[in-house]
Amino acid sequence: MTRYAMVIDKRRCIGCQSCTVACRTWNDLPMDIIYNPVITEGVQGTWPNVHWTWTPTLCNHCENPPCVPCCPTKASQQDEDGIVWVDPNKCMGCKVCANSCPYGARDMNHKEGYIRKCTFCKDRVREGENPYCVNTCHQKARIFGDLDDPESEVSKLVGSLETETLYPELGTNPQVYYIPDLGGQR
Amino acid sequence: MKHFWQWPIASYLFLGGLGGGMLFLVGVLRLGFGFSGFATIGGVFWALVALAFGCFLLVFELGQPPKAIRVVISATAIIKWGAVLLSIALIAGFIYAIFYVDFLCFPLGLGAMYGDASAPVSNVWLAIAAVFGLAVCVYTGVLLSSMKARPFWNTPALPVLFVVSAVSTGSALLALTMCTWPLASGAATPAVLASGALQHEWLHGLDSTLVLVELLVLFLYLLLMATSSNVTAQKVAKRWLKGSFAIPFWGGMVACGLVIPYFMYQTTGVMSTTVGPILVLLAGLLLRFMIVYSDDRRMLPGEEKYYKHLPKGDEEFLNVWEQGKNLY
Repeated sequence: MTRYAMVIDKRRCIGCQSCTVACRTWNDLPMDIIYNPVITEGVQGTWPNVHWTWTPTLCNHCENPPCVPCCPTKASQQDEDGIVWVDPNKCMGCKVCANSCPYGARDMNHKEGYIRKCTFCKDRVREGENPYCVNTCHQKARIFGDLDDPESEVSKLVGSLETETLYPELGTNPQVYYIPDLGGQR
Repeated sequence: MKHFWQWPIASYLFLGGLGGGMLFLVGVLRLGFGFSGFATIGGVFWALVALAFGCFLLVFELGQPPKAIRVVISATAIIKWGAVLLSIALIAGFIYAIFYVDFLCFPLGLGAMYGDASAPVSNVWLAIAAVFGLAVCVYTGVLLSSMKARPFWNTPALPVLFVVSAVSTGSALLALTMCTWPLASGAATPAVLASGALQHEWLHGLDSTLVLVELLVLFLYLLLMATSSNVTAQKVAKRWLKGSFAIPFWGGMVACGLVIPYFMYQTTGVMSTTVGPILVLLAGLLLRFMIVYSDDRRMLPGEEKYYKHLPKGDEEFLNVWEQGKNLY
């Protein structure tokens, strides 16, 4: 069975925000909604031992998404391939899912009255293409694929390197894996 | 940080708790302690008004109100169970009220059972309304406390705090209702007045006890959060105790909303019958607002700074771009 996942290599990200811009363009996002912020703490350490890390974020398409069972209209749903998405025709805009998401990956589209979120570009990936943010990343910091396929790059990376997920203690089992900026070798 | 839920939800949580708490209290007072007359029918009337207005605010807050009917579809969503509990409490309360309101009772053919003659039947509906009213109070807390993403809400202590506050505000509104009753109903016979005064006095005793319990639960809640292992919960508790929420908390909720009304309840006259209950009601509303606006989630390092730097939407460069007069 297909299980989509993304690996983000923090050693490669240079914080150019191309993925953010590409996503906004592809999804025609309103001004106040960003699916994939690229965040940073700024320069860390003391000269000459300094480094600057960027963390590209997006919906984690969790295996146990807290945003799905809380939806009273079943607009928030998860497909068999793990993609979590919102059906705008069913969403009544109660914002319970946005409050349930520990990653801040959902936002309200006030103009049209429903919740919007990253869909892993499901229409593209089901036609064999990559999500738009992955295509745009010129540093190849975002890698996308089927985690259940042992030959896929994501599967090999997750299997061979020490990756981490965001807030694992919440039990959501995110499907976005980060290779830390310092280290990552098993 | 964005607050997804705003004043309509805070008001809805307050009104849901107030209405539910009042139904519960009226049920207990009538079925357990033999209260009668306006203490019960007036209480149920205002509880129904609070619940109905709360439902209106909930629908008003939705992005697409016409789709609210879909709320019955999910089996797992807490908000769906809230809607079910609210509906049952409203319907049961309304049926109870029918037996006592002549212009509703007579057209429905219930004239023979009008008023206290209907007690055996109407009490069943009151009992249902009371049970579901209490469930609504619990639900308003569980709705928030079920969210693991919001550490300040994610504790079983929140439903306890909301239930205590709901019953306390319900008791305050019931006291207010009763003090206006003999004049409003025109039934001010000496016997009725004496019975009303006795019930009123009893209710004041209950309310001042509830105010003390609420104060205790509130401090325990904050102690729990301030000593929590979760950094976000600690940060919010600190904001309540000595940060930007300190003035509404200490001045508004603790002093004006709980401590001063407690001492007012020990006196007689307008301070005890009117001002005290109004302050308790305002404190209940303030509590829901402060809790709803304490929806902080754990942020990644640098995330807060990222969102702070985003344009608000009224910047000049955005507007000239939208108007097709881009100068940049």
